[in-house]
Amino acid sequence: MEIPYIVTPRKDTGLFNSKIAIWLFLASEVMLFGGFFSAYVFLRLGADFPWPERTLPVMPGLINTFVLIGSSVTVVFAWASLKLGNWRMFQLFMGITVACAGIFMVLKGIEYNVKFHHQAVRLPDFTVVEGHLAYEKDEKGYVLNHHGKKIEENMIFVEAKQLNFSTVRFHKPWVEEFISQAEHRNAKILLASDLNLVTEFGKPAVTIGKANEPLSVELLAKIKKAYLAARAHNAELRTDALRLAWREKKAEFPDKKDWELTRDVNVDASKLELLEEVSTVTFNVDPPAKFEFKPRDIKEDATSSRLRDDTVITGPLLPSPMVFHHMDAVDFRHLAMRAKAKGQDPIKAIDDSWLVQNNPFVKKAWEWNKLQVAKIEKELIDGYGRDEQGKPKREPIAKERYRLGWKEFAAIAEGKDRGDADIKMREEFLGPDYAKRGDETFPEFSLPREKVAFASKFTPTWNTYYALYFTITGLHGLHVIGGALVLAYYLFFGRKMFDENPEWLANRVEIGGLFWHFVDLVWIFVFPIFYLM
Amino acid sequence: MSSHPSTAHGPDAHHDDHHHNPGFLWKYVFSTDHKMIGIQYAITAMLFLAFGFYLMMVMRWSIAYPHQPLPEWMSFIFNDGWKARWLLDGKVTGETYNMFGAMHGTIMVFLGIVPLGFGAFGNYVTPLQIGAVDMAFPKLNMMSYWIYLAGGLVMCASFFMESGAAKSGWTNYSPLAGFADGQIVNQWLAGQTQWLIGLVLLITSSLLGSVNFITTIINLRARGMTWMRLPFFVWSMLVTAFLLLLAFPPLEAAGIMQLMDRVLHSSFFMPSGLYTGAQGLADLSGGGSPLLFQHLFWFLGHPEVYVLLLPAFACVAEIIPANTRKPLWGYKSMVYSVLVLGFLSFIVWAHHMYMTGMGAAVSTFFQTTTVLISIPSVVIITALLISLWGGSIRFTPPMLWACAFIPMFGIGGLTGLPLAFNLVGLHLHDTYYVIGHFHYVVAPGILFGFFAGVLHWYPKITGRYMNSSLNHLHFWPSLICMNLIFFPMLMQGMAGFHRRWYNGGDAYMAKTQDSANVFANTVAQHIDMNLIMSYGAWAMAFFQIFFIINLFTSWKFGRKVTSDNPWNATTLEWATPTPPGHGNFIDEPVVYRGPYEYSRPDHAEDFIPQWHKPVAVTAPVTDPKDPA
Repeated sequence: MEIPYIVTPRKDTGLFNSKIAIWLFLASEVMLFGGFFSAYVFLRLGADFPWPERTLPVMPGLINTFVLIGSSVTVVFAWASLKLGNWRMFQLFMGITVACAGIFMVLKGIEYNVKFHHQAVRLPDFTVVEGHLAYEKDEKGYVLNHHGKKIEENMIFVEAKQLNFSTVRFHKPWVEEFISQAEHRNAKILLASDLNLVTEFGKPAVTIGKANEPLSVELLAKIKKAYLAARAHNAELRTDALRLAWREKKAEFPDKKDWELTRDVNVDASKLELLEEVSTVTFNVDPPAKFEFKPRDIKEDATSSRLRDDTVITGPLLPSPMVFHHMDAVDFRHLAMRAKAKGQDPIKAIDDSWLVQNNPFVKKAWEWNKLQVAKIEKELIDGYGRDEQGKPKREPIAKERYRLGWKEFAAIAEGKDRGDADIKMREEFLGPDYAKRGDETFPEFSLPREKVAFASKFTPTWNTYYALYFTITGLHGLHVIGGALVLAYYLFFGRKMFDENPEWLANRVEIGGLFWHFVDLVWIFVFPIFYLM
Repeated sequence: MSSHPSTAHGPDAHHDDHHHNPGFLWKYVFSTDHKMIGIQYAITAMLFLAFGFYLMMVMRWSIAYPHQPLPEWMSFIFNDGWKARWLLDGKVTGETYNMFGAMHGTIMVFLGIVPLGFGAFGNYVTPLQIGAVDMAFPKLNMMSYWIYLAGGLVMCASFFMESGAAKSGWTNYSPLAGFADGQIVNQWLAGQTQWLIGLVLLITSSLLGSVNFITTIINLRARGMTWMRLPFFVWSMLVTAFLLLLAFPPLEAAGIMQLMDRVLHSSFFMPSGLYTGAQGLADLSGGGSPLLFQHLFWFLGHPEVYVLLLPAFACVAEIIPANTRKPLWGYKSMVYSVLVLGFLSFIVWAHHMYMTGMGAAVSTFFQTTTVLISIPSVVIITALLISLWGGSIRFTPPMLWACAFIPMFGIGGLTGLPLAFNLVGLHLHDTYYVIGHFHYVVAPGILFGFFAGVLHWYPKITGRYMNSSLNHLHFWPSLICMNLIFFPMLMQGMAGFHRRWYNGGDAYMAKTQDSANVFANTVAQHIDMNLIMSYGAWAMAFFQIFFIINLFTSWKFGRKVTSDNPWNATTLEWATPTPPGHGNFIDEPVVYRGPYEYSRPDHAEDFIPQWHKPVAVTAPVTDPKDPA
């Protein structure tokens, strides 16, 4: 048995099978990316925060655009070379195509990496501060946790006196983390009291744990096992008792409907041979020690905090400020937008904001920016004039009015105007050169915990713009990788097929090339909506 | 094995069948033969259907007897630990009810009906009916099945995890679905996340399947098989494949975004300022839109209805002409209708969202398109009905089911009309009326169509008929039970019963003493219907046993067929040996006429198969076009 029309097209349709298939597949892909692009439109139109316009570095994106367009041309040349029967030419052009995919992904990787290390925080009044976090630095300036690993997280500190683990829900890695942190602080986590349980009714109690036994995953596992056994045993007894109670009640009132009997059917639990269910277990921390937690894992409170696995930590919350090693941007756009919505003057609202009031550096920068905005306003009036109502035809955009990015910080330090700072090409790609520009340009900044309304790296978590950016470009990147792998397969393993049946290989390259054009096309949409608009 | 004439050398030989005596594994498990894959789909889908049915039986217990422990004949499949976790003193809890409800819907739609209709019937019958040796991409076909199975198993595995399976309804609306199982530390191990992973796998599977189907239908038709000679079955599968191809990807986008929301804490579907009792103010940026999820979901969700329905239409449209010995009435208008239906199904989705406050203009648009889409559906169902008129009907086992399909689907379709109007929708939204409506379409409608299909093609697949007496024992009680289950739902729904009451309205019964409480009194008048429906459902389960017995015993002990064309039907699948070998046809088939040439007055026999060469005396000769 053989499938027809793999190499030669069918006469009436004029197509070979895989060509139909790839067009159908691409139609499906259009719908997939269409779903994402409509999500972009929907979320951007409905956004209740200032959409970060033109926030990505354009240069790497522009280079990537040309790289992809170039590779779309070379993949056609590669296909044509096969049709001409020239293997060397095919190798050359396909090699360039695959190399272009590599360049694209490297640039993309750099772009992603910068964002993964860049922190943002939103204050309760919607001021946004950006920068890089500092925590405990080693001599090289790296940020380390107690394991000696580099971390970039603003931790929450609790002085724990007592830990209360949920018997079924405790998360093993977190228990191990407790043990490790206690060791680091020279404290011990010990079982609060003897744990003797009856595992079979009528039999003497079995010792599961003794008081002052140190916390271990094995101990918790043992308690969990006993708990689960008791729970299953009790559930069975209670079910049987309830079933019996219903049977008796129905026999007693055969005329009544079930819902009329509901309230009269009761089970006396005290008569059942139930086992004790230990659903939580308490440990003491001796001496009380400082523990650190990632903010997302913990709901902190002044005296007692709760982890997501239902572990309750009793003890006072310690000061857990968010410390920026370098602050590199202050953004008042969200604050201004909220103020305008309330009918207030945005400038006054910013003047009165907590950050301007409490941070001399920001105050100075903000005053500088007011002068800069006035200067831009004047330039725009000089350049474009006023309309009939006497209003300027062009005005500074919100980003110029309310945002001080790292380039503005650089301009302030260099004593230059907005947009005139001396920015190196390397900085355009990788972000500011903190080491060279130093603390005068990007000062240290500490934010008390209660002033942190929402904090995140520039990841999908930060806002829907970055969520869309990472999802769409990430999916596009996966398509680039997938396409490049297929094309590279033809390049490195196609020789045998070229010798046996060059037409078939040409068909395959054509299919791969069509996909590659689609990947390029998607980027033509992605580039303007994320980088330019 | 096939003796299909070989015409080409070189690369095509690569696809030659290497395994003339393939081992068990290659023949039954990793087969690339479309017929074996169809059977794999059928068996898997029927197992999932049984599982989905079981979940529903437990739910019906909770509705009928909310305060009584689940009886042992239903709870025996759980172990004690599971019972202790998910049942409260043996009673079904609201959480468990939600979990079973969400998974019942998901399993029935995505793992049961679609794979049975499209995967099983489509795979087995389509290449046979167009005279192809196999699907265009047999390995892709195999992959499609395995990815489907993986997706289904991932979804169902979560029943045994600490979080339990998904609980946010089969529609999985955010923000509820974004928060559900939030207490699980490793979100990849939460049922709600696994639901999304399973969904993405299922969409991948259906994408591969639909690309394969369309390519096969376009390029692998036999000589002479022009478009208007395609059986209606093939047209239905073509439209179904297009719906799957184009409607599923937006849901995949939504699934990926919801996955991001759950695992990376983005806010695609999470609005600002979300507060939950359990977790306090959400640690999220906000700024997303729950409405966006609904739009993306229903952009799939409505075409999905036709993905479920069209394969059933397809089966019934083949069975009716074969058993009335009449051509299908209005074949061309049915074909055009199914194409229009496919197109319109893409622009009706927001009629599921009248309650979201999209605005009157949007509602009016979708109301209009929704009313429009009833036209092609009615054309098809009317054509099927008229096809019965004046026929000499043979009430063969498949024909019984096909005849029941028409009125049952009719009730389902007609009860949908009021729901098209947004004013009525305000009253009926999320009531049992909606449940009754779409279950009439899916259960006694589509499933009856599939039972008909199983009985119709069983002789081709196995070489034996299914037992007629067992079929009667299965058919009549099923017909009665279906109506016992679903008709009271329509009445309850109009009385205002909400579809997600896990205790069947029992919570309102305490208030019936208050004569001013009109709603509680309405509930009291309708609550006893819960018992009828529940007993109907359990009885229904019992009578399916006859089908299962019939399905397996007939394989070995059924009456043997005496010819390759036992129903004296006209389409190409009956030209193959019984059962068809790998490669399907002994000789390359050539098609000379349309698919439903029954009872032609100028012909002695009451049918002329598509592949019979015309004889000058009995039929006017027209040379078949020679496409290949």
